[in-house]
Amino acid sequence: MNQAEIHDYLKNFFIENESTILEESDGHLHIQLSIDMDKALMNRPFYWHYTEKIGAVPNPMKLTLITDSNLAPEDIKGELIHFGSPRLHQIFQTAQELGRHALLYESVQPNGASLPMKPWLILNGSVSYCCDHKKDQFFSIGLSLITGEMINDIHSQIKNKRFQEQIPNYCFTMTPIIKPQAGLERIKRYLMGQEKLKEHKWADDALSRMKKDEALLEAFYDGEEEKTETYDQEKEAIKAQYEPFINISIINGGMFYFSNHPSDNQNMVY
Amino acid sequence: MIPTIKFDEDWSYSFLDSLENNRGLNNWSKYNMALQAGKKRLIDNFHELEATKHLPHLEIFPHQYETAQKVINEMNGKAVLADEVGLGKTIEAGLILKEYMIRGLVKKVLILVPASLVTQWCRELNEKFFIPAIEQRKRPAWEQIDITVTSIDTAKREPHASVIQNIDYDFIIVDEAHKLKNKETKNYQFVRSLKKKFCLLLTATPVQNRLSEVFHLISLLKPGYLGDESSFEKNYKEEKDHEQLNELIQKVMIRNRRTDSGMDWPKRKVQTVPITFSPEERELYEAVSELKNKYRGFAQGISFTTLTLQREVCSSREAAFMTLKNLMEQYGDHPEISQDLNDIAEKINAVKTNSKAEQVLSLIQGTDDKLIIFTEYRATQLYLQWFLGQHGIKSVPFRGGFKRSKKDWMKQLFQNQVQVLIATEAGGEGINLQFCHRMINYDLPWNPMRIEQRIGRIHRLGQEKDVEIYNFAVQDTVEDHILKLLYKKIGLFEGVIGKLDDILEKFSDNQLEDHVSNILLHSESEGEIRVKMDNLSSILAK
Repeated sequence: MNQAEIHDYLKNFFIENESTILEESDGHLHIQLSIDMDKALMNRPFYWHYTEKIGAVPNPMKLTLITDSNLAPEDIKGELIHFGSPRLHQIFQTAQELGRHALLYESVQPNGASLPMKPWLILNGSVSYCCDHKKDQFFSIGLSLITGEMINDIHSQIKNKRFQEQIPNYCFTMTPIIKPQAGLERIKRYLMGQEKLKEHKWADDALSRMKKDEALLEAFYDGEEEKTETYDQEKEAIKAQYEPFINISIINGGMFYFSNHPSDNQNMVY
Repeated sequence: MIPTIKFDEDWSYSFLDSLENNRGLNNWSKYNMALQAGKKRLIDNFHELEATKHLPHLEIFPHQYETAQKVINEMNGKAVLADEVGLGKTIEAGLILKEYMIRGLVKKVLILVPASLVTQWCRELNEKFFIPAIEQRKRPAWEQIDITVTSIDTAKREPHASVIQNIDYDFIIVDEAHKLKNKETKNYQFVRSLKKKFCLLLTATPVQNRLSEVFHLISLLKPGYLGDESSFEKNYKEEKDHEQLNELIQKVMIRNRRTDSGMDWPKRKVQTVPITFSPEERELYEAVSELKNKYRGFAQGISFTTLTLQREVCSSREAAFMTLKNLMEQYGDHPEISQDLNDIAEKINAVKTNSKAEQVLSLIQGTDDKLIIFTEYRATQLYLQWFLGQHGIKSVPFRGGFKRSKKDWMKQLFQNQVQVLIATEAGGEGINLQFCHRMINYDLPWNPMRIEQRIGRIHRLGQEKDVEIYNFAVQDTVEDHILKLLYKKIGLFEGVIGKLDDILEKFSDNQLEDHVSNILLHSESEGEIRVKMDNLSSILAK
C-alpha cells in the first residue's frame, strides 16, 4: 500500500464510520471522530464510562493524520501514518471487525416482472503454512447454495458490482437448497482437500530441521541416567518451533444474492 | 507428508449466528474495507524480510539486514549476535523480533538486559520498531504483558522466577550475554530453565578467556550443538581442531566487524599523553614500589595489594588512600609494616597536586566539545568532579550502581547541559553516547575487552565525527608497561578487535590479566619486567 492508497483508505474508512473530514490536503486528514470511532481508536474507556454514567454531552476527539508530510501543510501537527504505524494497524483491525459478516443483494432494477435472486456463500481468507517460518495464501471462494457450483477468486469477479442491504424492488430470493452451515462445511472440505493433494516440501524441510535439533538434544543428554525436566522442556520447545501445520483462517465472508451468475459481468437490462 | 490442518471454526459460528439473528451484518463498503485490511496482513512468501516495509523511517545498514535474514532463514531463529560494539546489535535483534511478530510466529516475548539498559531497550523497541515493549519493575504482570523487558536480576528472583519459568515464551533475547558464560551461576541456570522457541544472545565479547565459555553460551541456544561438555573438552583441546570448531560456531554465531561492515566509519584518533609526576607524587610512587620489593615473599597478600596501590597512585592519591587505610588496619599489630605504611600515609599527605588532573584541564579548556573521562576508581571520580568544579567546569558522574532513572538523567544532563561526564568502569556498558566524540582513559584497565567496551560508547553507529581518544599514562610506572604491552604493541586502539579474539583464544586457560600481574609482582627489576613484557607481547602479536 503506498501513501496515496493509505490516504484514500483512511478517508473512506472515517466517512464510512460516521466521522467528518474537517480539513484535508493530499498529505493529511483532519477528522472529527464519531462517538463509536472515538471509543474504538482513542483508548479512553474511563472517559466514556464517566460521560455515559452522568449523562454529560459526549465530546469525541478530533484526529489529525499525516499521510505525506511533503504534501501536508507545513505547520500541521499530527500522527505520521505509514504502513508499519501502530495507528494504521489499529484502524485495519477495527475495519476487519466492522466488516466480518455481510448479507447483501446485488443492486438491480428489474423492468416490471419479478426477478429471482440466487444465494451464494462467499468466504475470503488465507491458507497459512506454519512452522518456524510462515507463508500465507489468499483465497476467495464462492459457493452457489442452489447448484453447489464453486468459484475460485470470486471477489475479483464481483468487486465492480454494486450491492445493497435491502432486497431490490420487484425481486424475490430463492431459498437455499444447501443450508449455509452445510455450505461452510463444503468450502472447508474443498480447501482441506486441495491441501491434501499438494506436495508439502516446506513441511518435510521443517521436519528434517526438527529432527536435527532433536538428535543434538539426545546427544547432549546421552549418558545421563535420568532425563531431566529441562530435557522434556527443550524437546517440547523444539516441537513447538518446527512442527509444521496448516492454518485456514477467514478474513470475512457473507451471504450474497445475485440476479445472474456472479461471473457474468454484463449489466442485463430487463 | 501432509501436515495437520486447522480450520477457523470460530468465524463460522459467529457468521451463522449473525445470519440467524440478522445482526452484525455489514454493508458492501465495510465488507470491502475489512477484506482489504485483512489481505494487507498476509505475507505470501516464507523467506523475505517484511519488517523493513513496516519501518520506513529506520535506517538499516546492509550488515544488519543481512544478519536478520541469516538468523531467520539459516539459523532458525537461534543465534548469538556478537557484532563488535557499536554496530547495532539492538537494531538487528529488533528487526528479527519484528519480522517474527509481523508473521504472527511470535507473540510472547521476554527480553533480559542489564538493569541499566531496561529503559533504553523499551524506548528503542517502541520508537524505532513500534513494538509495544513494557518495562517490568516493582509489580510486574508477567502473564498479562506480551512483550516484557526486565533485568535478569529481577527475573531470577522469587516470586517472579517461578511465574516466568512457567510461561511458554516464543522469543527470548538476552543482552550482554557474555555474563552467562559460567554454567554454575544462578543467572545461567535461570536462563537455561526458560521455555523458548526462538532465542537471541547478544554480546560484543563472546570469548573473554576460555573456550568453554562459548560452549556454555551455545548450549543455551542449542543444547548438544557442540556435543556434551566432556566430549567438547576432549575434542577441542588441540589447536588443530579449532578450525572445525570455528566452522561449527559460525553456523550459530554472527560477528560483524567494523572493517567488513562496508561502512565509512569515523576514524579513531588515538593519542598517548605521557604524564610526568610531580616530585611529591614520584616520591609516593617510589615508596609504594619499595614496599612491594621489601615484602616480596613475606606475605603474598601485602605484595599483591601494593601492586593495586601502585596503580591507584597513578590515578589519584584519593584512590590510594582507601587501600592504604585497609592495609593499616590489617597490619596494625606488625610494627615494621605499620611504620612503613605510616610513612606512605605521610607521603600521601605531602602530595598537593594531581598531574593527570592538570592535564585533563588543559584538554578541556579552549573547547566546548563534550568529553568523557573513564577511571577505574570511585575516589578518583569524586576527586575529579570536585577538581573540575573548582575550575568552573561542570561535570556529572556515572556509575554502574546508579538507579536506572538516575543513569538516564545523568545521560540527559550530559547531552544537554554539562560538558564532562566522569564514568567508572561499571558505567561503561550499554550506554550510548555517540553525541560525544572525545574520551580520556584516565587510567587503563588490564583487560583489553574493557577498553573496547569503553570506546564503543562513542565509536558507534551515529557518530559523525572522528573519535579522539587520549590515553593517560604516567611515565616510568606500571601504567607505562601496560600501555606499551597491551595497547601499543597489539595496536588495539586502531580498532583491530578481530585480532583480539585470537589473542584471547591463546590465553584460553590463563587470564591475560594474571600474566601481567605475575610479571609485575615477581620481577626483580625494571629490566626484568621489560624483558618479560616484551616476551608476552610478542606472543600476543604473533
